[in-house]
Amino acid sequence: MIKKLRNLKLTPGLILRLVVGLVVLIYLGWRIYQTAFGEGTYGPDTWMRFLIAGLIVGGMYALIAIGYTLVYGTLFMINFAHGEVMMLGTYAGYFALEAFASLPAPTAADPNLNFLNAQPVIALILTFVAGAGVSALMGYLLEKIAYRPLRGAPRLVPLISAIGTSIFLQNAAQLLFGPQRRQYQNPDFLWRGTGWMIPVGGKDVMLTYTGLFSFVLSILLMVGLFILVRRTKLGKSMRAVAENKQAAALMGIDVDSVISKTFIISGILAGSAGVMWGIHNGLFNHYVGFIPGIKAFTAAVLGGIGNIPGAMLGGMLLGLLESLGPALLGLDFQLKDVIAFTILILVLIFRPSGLLGEALSEEKV
Amino acid sequence: MKTSLKKGLSSGVIFGIVFIFLLLIGFINVGSTMIGDLLGNTASGRLPVNNLLTFLAVLGVLTGITARNGLGESQWWQALLGGLVAGLVSGVLAWLAIWLTGTLSLQGSEIQTYLPNMDPADLNYLRFYSTPLAAANTYLLYFVGFSVAGAALVWLLSIKGWFVKCWQACRNGVSNWKGTKDLSDVFKNRWVMLVIFLAVAVALYFLPLAWGSYWNYIMGTVAIYVILGLGLNIIVGYSGQLVLGFGAFFATGAYTFALLTAPTPHGIGLNLWLAVGGSVLVSTLTGLLLGLPILNLRGDYLAIVTLGFGEIIRILIKSDLLTAVTNGPKGVTNVGQPTWFGETFNDVNYMHLLMLLVLVALFIAKRLKDSRTGRAWVAIREDQTVAQATGINTYRSKILALMLGAAFAGLAGALFASRNQFTGPEDFTLMVSINVLCIVIVGGMGSLPGIVLGAFVLKGLPELLRELEDYRLLVFGALLVVMMIVRPEGLWPAPRVKFDKPAEEPMQDLAPEVKQ
Repeated sequence: MIKKLRNLKLTPGLILRLVVGLVVLIYLGWRIYQTAFGEGTYGPDTWMRFLIAGLIVGGMYALIAIGYTLVYGTLFMINFAHGEVMMLGTYAGYFALEAFASLPAPTAADPNLNFLNAQPVIALILTFVAGAGVSALMGYLLEKIAYRPLRGAPRLVPLISAIGTSIFLQNAAQLLFGPQRRQYQNPDFLWRGTGWMIPVGGKDVMLTYTGLFSFVLSILLMVGLFILVRRTKLGKSMRAVAENKQAAALMGIDVDSVISKTFIISGILAGSAGVMWGIHNGLFNHYVGFIPGIKAFTAAVLGGIGNIPGAMLGGMLLGLLESLGPALLGLDFQLKDVIAFTILILVLIFRPSGLLGEALSEEKV
Repeated sequence: MKTSLKKGLSSGVIFGIVFIFLLLIGFINVGSTMIGDLLGNTASGRLPVNNLLTFLAVLGVLTGITARNGLGESQWWQALLGGLVAGLVSGVLAWLAIWLTGTLSLQGSEIQTYLPNMDPADLNYLRFYSTPLAAANTYLLYFVGFSVAGAALVWLLSIKGWFVKCWQACRNGVSNWKGTKDLSDVFKNRWVMLVIFLAVAVALYFLPLAWGSYWNYIMGTVAIYVILGLGLNIIVGYSGQLVLGFGAFFATGAYTFALLTAPTPHGIGLNLWLAVGGSVLVSTLTGLLLGLPILNLRGDYLAIVTLGFGEIIRILIKSDLLTAVTNGPKGVTNVGQPTWFGETFNDVNYMHLLMLLVLVALFIAKRLKDSRTGRAWVAIREDQTVAQATGINTYRSKILALMLGAAFAGLAGALFASRNQFTGPEDFTLMVSINVLCIVIVGGMGSLPGIVLGAFVLKGLPELLRELEDYRLLVFGALLVVMMIVRPEGLWPAPRVKFDKPAEEPMQDLAPEVKQ
C-alpha cells in the first residue's frame, strides 16, 4: 500500500481529482450532518415522499439502462437513439389507450362503458404489447439500417450514426404527431393522483397506484430479463457474443441474429418503460425520451456498463439520488438534472468501471 | 425472374413507406409547392394539381430506378418486370394511404387531432379535389407508369452505351483540360497567386456592400459557425476526441462578453476588444478545467460526459442559483457593440470583421495542423497507443486541443453575443453542439475547406430553402446516418499526407563491398 502510494506520480489530473474528491466529500458530510442533526427543513413525511418518487423513477431508469448495457455489452457502442426508441413506445401506448377508450363496450349496468374500463387488465396488457412491440420493431430496424452497415468501422462512426438516428426519430415524431403535449388516458382503477395513504410521522404520504404499478412491473421485467440472460439458450449465446464475437461465431452462434435479438429485447424493455412513464406521469411529447435516455445511460455507467445487475442497481440509485439529492444538498429542485450529470462525471473520474463493473480491457472501454 | 420480383418488391415497399411517411409529415404539399416555384407554376388560391403530379412522377421514376439498380446486369424484360412490381407495390401502399386518409377526413373523423398534418384542406388538394377512390387510382396509375418508365430509362442508358460513352468522353475532356501541365504551372506562379488572392480579397470586400442586410445576417451566421467548426475541428478532426458539449464553450464565451460589456446586470462596461480577449480566455480556461479530469477517458464516454457538461452549463445559467450573475432565463440584453472611429458598426462593417476573423482563424487552424503539435494530434487520432509509444504526451496534447478549440468557441461566442446584442440560455441548447458537429463531419473531419463548405451547406442552405425550415433537423439526422454509411470521410475530405518511400539506394555501390 505504502509502496503503491510512493510510486504514485502527482499529475495535474490526479491532483485535481483529489481536490474535487475532498471538496465533494466535505460538502456531503456537512450536508448530511445538517439534515440529520440540523434545522430540519423537511419532515419525515417529505423524505418518504422523495424516497417513493425516487424508487418509481429509478425502476424506469433501470429498464432503459439495461437496454444501453445490453447493446454496449455486445457491440461496444452507445446506442444514442435508445431514448427515442422509448419515446416511440410511449406514443404507441398512448394511441393504444386512445383506441381502447373510444371502443364502446356497453353493459346493462353502464351503457357508456368503453373497452378500457370494461376489460382494464386486457386493455393494459394490449397497451404494453403495443408499446413494447413498436419499440422492439424500432430497435430491430435501427440496428439493421443505421448500425449493421457500420460494423467494423472506427468507433466514432457508429456513434455519430446513432446521434443522427436520434435526431431523425425525434423530429420525425414531432412532424408526425405535432409538438404539443399529449395526455395518457388511464383506466379508472389506475387513475393518476389516487393511491393508498401511508401514515408517516403523523402525516399521510400517498403511494399512487400508478407508481406502485410501474415499480412492480419494472421489477418483474427485470427478473424476467435476468432469467432470460442466465437460464435460456438465447441468453447464453448473448453472453457468448458479448465475451468474444469471433469465438462465438466459431462455436456456431449466428452473431448477427443474436445482435438483432439484443436490440429487440432492449427495445421491449424501453417500450415498457415508455408506457409506464406515460401511465405514471401522464403528459408527454416527442422530447420524452431524451432526458430519460441520457439519465439511463448515466445509470448504466454508474452501475458499470455492460453489467446487467449493475444497470439495475445504477438505475435505482440514480432515481433515488435525483429525488433525494436536491433536498439533501440544500439545492433548488430545478438543479435535479445537474445532479445527475455531475454524478456521471464524478463516477467517470473516480471509478470509470462503475460500481459493479469489472475493469474492462483497453479494447472494450 | 425471381430476383426481379424480389428486388421489385423490396424497393416497392421502401418507396411505399417513404411515400406514406412523407404524406404523414405533410411534406408532399410542401414538395409540390416547391416544384411549382421551381417551374414557375404558382397560383394563388387553388393550388395547381400539375405540381403534385410532377412530384409523384419523380417519386415513381425513383422507385423504378432503385428497382432496376438492385438487379445489376439484366435483360430488358427483367428490368421492366422489376419496375412494374415496384410500381405496383408502392402504388398499392399509396392507394391505401390516400383512400384511407381521404375517406376518414371526409367522414369528419378526428384524424387531425392525432396526426396534425392531415389537414382537410391539404388532403383535398392531395385528392386533386375529387373523390378518394378516383384520387387513389390516379396515384396507383402514376406509380406503376413512372416506375416502369424509370426502370426502362435506366435499362436503356445502361444497355445502349452511348450515355456511358458520352460521360466518359466528358470526363476525359475535363481531366485532359485539368491535366495540362501549363495550367497547373500557372497556379504555382507566385504572382498569379497574388493576383488571385487580391481578386478574392476585393470580391470579399465588395460582396457585403452588394448583399443587403438580410444576406449579411445569414452570411454572418455562417461565418460564426465556420469559426465554431474550426474550433471543434481541432478537437474532433485533428485529435479525434468526440466532444458533444461544444456549445458550453460557445456559451461561456458569449456570456463572458455580454456580462463584461452590457449595462445590466453588472455594468462593467469593459472595452470591447478587451472583452473579446476575456471571453477567449474564460472559454480556454473552461476547456482546461473540463479537460483535466476527463480527457483520459476514451471515445464514447468522453462524448457523453461532455454532453452532460454542456447541459450542466445551460441549466446553471438559467437556474435561480446564478440569476444574480447571469440574469437567469431572461438573458443579457444591450450587449456591447464594436465602434469604428466613434461610429457603431453596421451590418456591412460586421460582415467585414467576421470575414477577417474567419480568415485569421483559418490561418491559425492551418498553421496548427502543420505544426509539430498538429502532427501529434493526428497521431493520437490514428492510434493513441502508438502515439504514446513514440513519445507523445497524449494527455497534454489532448488538453491542448480542447483548450484551443474552446478558445475558438469563445471568440465565436463573443461575436455571436455582440452581433445579436443579446444572449440567453436557450441560444446554447444541445442542438448548437450537434449543428457544429454536423458541420465538421459533413464537411470532412480535419479538412479546412470542408468546414467552410459544411457551414455553407448546413447553415446557409436552410436559409435559402425557407419552406424546408420544419424539415431541417429531420434531414440533418438522416444526413448524418447516410454520410456515415456512404461517405464517412465527408464532402471535402482532408487529403491524407503520403510520405514517399525513401529513394532506393543504387545497388551497384553496395555490390563491391559485398563481394569483398
